[in-house]
Amino acid sequence: MTVRSDEAAAMLADVDSVVARVKQSRLYRTAALIMILWGVVNLARDVLIALAPAWFGPRWFLIDAIGIIGTLALLRWVVEPGARFPLRMLAAFCLFYAFGWIWANFLGGFGPREQMVFWPTLFLFGYALAGLWFGAAFSAIGLGLTALILVAYVWSGAAFALWLAAVSGGGFILCGLWMRRA
Amino acid sequence: MDAPDDVIHQPIRLRVMAALTACDPGDEGLDFTQLKKLTGATDGNLGAHLDHLARAGYVEVTKAFVGRRPRTTVKASAQGRAAFARHVAFLKSIIAGA
Repeated sequence: MTVRSDEAAAMLADVDSVVARVKQSRLYRTAALIMILWGVVNLARDVLIALAPAWFGPRWFLIDAIGIIGTLALLRWVVEPGARFPLRMLAAFCLFYAFGWIWANFLGGFGPREQMVFWPTLFLFGYALAGLWFGAAFSAIGLGLTALILVAYVWSGAAFALWLAAVSGGGFILCGLWMRRA
Repeated sequence: MDAPDDVIHQPIRLRVMAALTACDPGDEGLDFTQLKKLTGATDGNLGAHLDHLARAGYVEVTKAFVGRRPRTTVKASAQGRAAFARHVAFLKSIIAGA
């Protein structure tokens, strides 16, 4: 059997394309798991803030801490069992919250309503940017949910916290489920 | 290597092996539906090609039930990984020699 060089090049291109799709699919699955986890975290946090704003408002970080621990556990024991502790992800969380805290409390001086919009949209901004390198689904989710959160900020009135729970909780869960199948 | 691997050379089987070797050896591999999507093959066609690869010892096929649904998982064997690497090296050598 003889193979011409143009046939060999086409086969190698086919191999590269399949490998790229497998890698993207695995990345989507990991991102989807994290997204579903954060959907549950966001839903719990925003519902608790809606029910007991005076107590949970200033203590929202307690729920987020569960999300951080959950994400690290997912990466360490579910996505890649036996892998080393995901230090890079921990560092990413530290940078994310440090940057967000500086803007929300020091430079921006955001009120409670602005804080509730700021944190999920900051997270989603990361998704929108990630989409430029890792697949359009990230950008679609980042931009779509950000738009819904901004709509909530402008028009939801007294139902703001519950709307936010639906969008940043339910929305994250639904987008995560969709991403698993993408 | 101066000849292609006859088992892997067929386009659908080449895609199957490319997809399976892109997974880490410690992973569970890919399921039938994922492979169908990646190769663009029909159920019967993919099944026949997987049989061919399994007979050559290049893949391990595991059939199990998840709840009530049957699930077929396919994984590249060490022999399959080595054969695929040799075949890719062969293709590269053709391009390099052109």
